[in-house]
Amino acid sequence: MPLRHQPGPWEAAEDLRRKTLSGMARQIDRLIYLASTRDYNTGVYYHDGLAAIYSQDVACQALADCHREAFRQLLGASLQDLVGQLEGYMRSVHQTPDAFIAAWQKLEPYRVTVPVESDPLAAEFFFANLRTALAILETRQTARPSLGPAA
Amino acid sequence: MIQLVFFLSVGVLLFVFLLVLARRGRAEGAAETLVEARHALLILQTELLPRALVTRIFAREDLDFVVAQGSRQVEDLFLRERTRVALIWVERVRGQVELLRRLHLGSARYYAQLELRRELSLAWDFGVLLVCCRALSLVFLVGGAYSGSRIVGTVAEAATRICEISGQSLAFLSKSGVDDFAGRGSTL
Repeated sequence: MPLRHQPGPWEAAEDLRRKTLSGMARQIDRLIYLASTRDYNTGVYYHDGLAAIYSQDVACQALADCHREAFRQLLGASLQDLVGQLEGYMRSVHQTPDAFIAAWQKLEPYRVTVPVESDPLAAEFFFANLRTALAILETRQTARPSLGPAA
Repeated sequence: MIQLVFFLSVGVLLFVFLLVLARRGRAEGAAETLVEARHALLILQTELLPRALVTRIFAREDLDFVVAQGSRQVEDLFLRERTRVALIWVERVRGQVELLRRLHLGSARYYAQLELRRELSLAWDFGVLLVCCRALSLVFLVGGAYSGSRIVGTVAEAATRICEISGQSLAFLSKSGVDDFAGRGSTL
């Protein structure tokens, strides 16, 4: 009797891309979402839906793969593209742009969005770009302060 | 006479013992160097030298975009950040190349089948590359990330060439080879 093919991380990652990540147009949304599925204390990724279909280990690996992929793609984006993505993300959260920019500049929440095994240079480059992107958004916001959060 | 023979024998035994210890130390040290070199090669090839990353870090279009924003403050911040990243990049490349050079200077000649001509050419490449890295650091410190674009290309190309030669010349840098070697070294 032929052995039944056990779906692995590749299939789980495809599933995740197709059903969940495809609904997020921006890479930065994907990065933030995927980072949020990771336990801060253990570095293990959790996704109940995926784990139910595959297994916790396979789901964890698939989430980690997609996280690395999103980070790599964002790292390769131009500064202009990154500013556009960050602005889009800022408009999508229920916060005023001023409050969003202030929180991101002070708390630097983007630091926890980097995959664990990323090279320090890649992480530093990403942080540096985000700091510049935030400064650009702040300047734009100062020039047109009347813009509020998206409805 | 018997005493003399006895002391001579003890001396010879001690000498042999020290010789064994010295050889063992060198073998373990060589194994460590090999593991370090393999790691350095991997970091250079996958993290520091991919063309996409190098192009991105030194991309002129980012500078043009920032300048177009018309804010001196943002421009200064951007240049400061890029210069910091550029310095990290060049220092890390230099560090990893130094590890590879150490391997070639120390252990490689015992294990790799390198022709003298190739070894000399490699030594020259290492020397030039390390000097270029130092020069590039200085250029970045003085003039910022965008002042050394031509040298960046040269450094990246030379480092890539050295990685290729190191990878080809030292076939035992493959994972299984080094693991075998490391295992052998520790049991000697």
